[in-house]
Amino acid sequence: MPPDPNPQPRTVIEFRDVVKRFGATAAVDRVSFSVGAGEIVSLLGPSGCGKTTTLWLISGFENPDAGSIEISGASVVGKRPYERNVGLLFQHYALFPHMSVAENVAYGLKHRNWPKADIGARVQEMLRLVQLQGFEDRRPGQMSGGQQQRVALARTLATRPELVLLDEPLSALDAKLREELRLELKHILTSVGSTTIVVTHDQDEAMSLADRIIIMNRGRIEQQGTPDEIYMRPQTAFVAGFIGRTNWFHGRIEQSPDGKFAILITDAGGRLTIPSAPQGAAGKCSICIRPERMNVAAASAGPSAQPAGVNNNLLPGEVVDIVNMGAEIHYIVQSPEGRLIAIEPNRSGSRVSKGERVSLQFRAEDCVVLPG
Amino acid sequence: MSARLVDNSLRLLGLVLIGVILLFLLTPIFVTVLMAFDSREYLGPLPPPSLSLRWFRQFFSDDYFLGGLVTSVELAVLSVIVSLSAGIATAVALERGKFRGKDALVSFFLSPLLVPPVVVGFALLLFLAHLGLVNGFARLLCGHIIITVPYTIRATLSGLTGLDRSYGEAALSLGATERQAFWDITLPLARTSIVSGAIFAFAVSMDDVSVSIMLTDAHTYNLPVALISSMRANFDLSIAAASVMLMLVTLALILILDRFVGLNRVIGQGVFRS
Repeated sequence: MPPDPNPQPRTVIEFRDVVKRFGATAAVDRVSFSVGAGEIVSLLGPSGCGKTTTLWLISGFENPDAGSIEISGASVVGKRPYERNVGLLFQHYALFPHMSVAENVAYGLKHRNWPKADIGARVQEMLRLVQLQGFEDRRPGQMSGGQQQRVALARTLATRPELVLLDEPLSALDAKLREELRLELKHILTSVGSTTIVVTHDQDEAMSLADRIIIMNRGRIEQQGTPDEIYMRPQTAFVAGFIGRTNWFHGRIEQSPDGKFAILITDAGGRLTIPSAPQGAAGKCSICIRPERMNVAAASAGPSAQPAGVNNNLLPGEVVDIVNMGAEIHYIVQSPEGRLIAIEPNRSGSRVSKGERVSLQFRAEDCVVLPG
Repeated sequence: MSARLVDNSLRLLGLVLIGVILLFLLTPIFVTVLMAFDSREYLGPLPPPSLSLRWFRQFFSDDYFLGGLVTSVELAVLSVIVSLSAGIATAVALERGKFRGKDALVSFFLSPLLVPPVVVGFALLLFLAHLGLVNGFARLLCGHIIITVPYTIRATLSGLTGLDRSYGEAALSLGATERQAFWDITLPLARTSIVSGAIFAFAVSMDDVSVSIMLTDAHTYNLPVALISSMRANFDLSIAAASVMLMLVTLALILILDRFVGLNRVIGQGVFRS
């Protein structure tokens, strides 16, 4: 059968106006989203943003005060965790310490009433998937953190859950292992086609694992979109500040005559060319620009080195610090608009030196205009 | 005087103190053991001229003592079974429940540790008489359950609170019901604490005089009470022999406990604190 040219993925989970209160505070406040089959979605936000409560609501350890939660079209409100087929991967693995690896992986199969004859084969299949064949008789306590997390993943995926929830899946591991396992995790999740929600406060984890990111703050969804959209077109100041590094300018906006670009009169008195604000907004606004969209040029080279077009901004400044991060170099520049950061790939070391006068260049279309 | 000299003398003083305390604790035990093996028919000066097992033989040929021993073992086994079941159920409820006055309830369940046992025994005697329960064994069993249940509650509670909640949650998310998760995960993981609670309960029951002495009747009495009464009536050294055997039982329990849990952990977890 030829593939559907416009595949409409089946909705696996749907949240509609879900509210969950703890005392007077709404941990989850009118949250709506849906996740399609095979999608990997990340719930990203700082601690206390409601992402963990959302996870408990999906897995059935909490029930909503209002709104509806449907899994595969059927309401799960009021259903106990074991009445839903939702897999849960815990931050600290939660492997049963008194059971062997094989018993751990078989635990879900036993309670989901798999035929006894099939359980052994399925355990082997899962251990092969996470590359832990031969570890059947080990106890979790005899394994490294990375291996334990693989066993936990095998245990979670063994029962073929409709939906897999990962709770800060890699945060208990050290940095280097985390990066290795992140790629492997994505590979495994994609290869079994599992519908996945990753709950995390770690933006790297969210950006690298997820097809789509839902950013939460104070119980509400701030923005959802692909990692690219979230990073390049943040819709709120919170999102812009939470994801990656950002340079901020605050001031008043003035539409330019041609209507294609606008002018920001900054609080410090400078003039910056920015994209025209969407709703012809006049008045106070903020713009943000990513550090890697800023270029540092030695002031001696002069503006003529890269002529400032109508849509190019030039800011004078002085390099106050240079941080070599290996793959990239961070320049901290003191400008009339405040302290700014520019990031460039490290091709042949730093091009300017500390204390040198430079000009920062950035294009108007790379600026994101946010109200307020 | 240099600081180092002060430190050293303090350390020496500490060692001497420990030695004196050990001597104080162990001498009576040593004397008792020695007396138990005394071959003389009367209480003579130490050391005994020769050793024998006559007092042990005497103990085992005395129906009065044997009756006490059998009652003691029956009481200990039954009260451990009852207080273990009740203690586990109580501890689980206390650990899971979120309600006001929970701390007060915990203190209430552990209060038999604080109330003087004589008071517990006397109060129970009056109460049971009022209810019309006059059977000696039933009275003793009630008393022993009351004094052993704080140990099983406390030990189980310490095992449960140390347990990561996510084990149970993982079991539920894998399709186990609450009941299955309890039997598969919670109970086995709290096992060491539960075993230590049971052993303490057993030892407390075997050893009890203060509560039991109030609740015995003419035909039903446990071993410690039997020993005390016979000491009053006609003092002989079969009491020393019985003491040696009780010590051996205690020693065996300590060894089992150490093997299962590690004694440091049990005492560190505060089964004795209250």
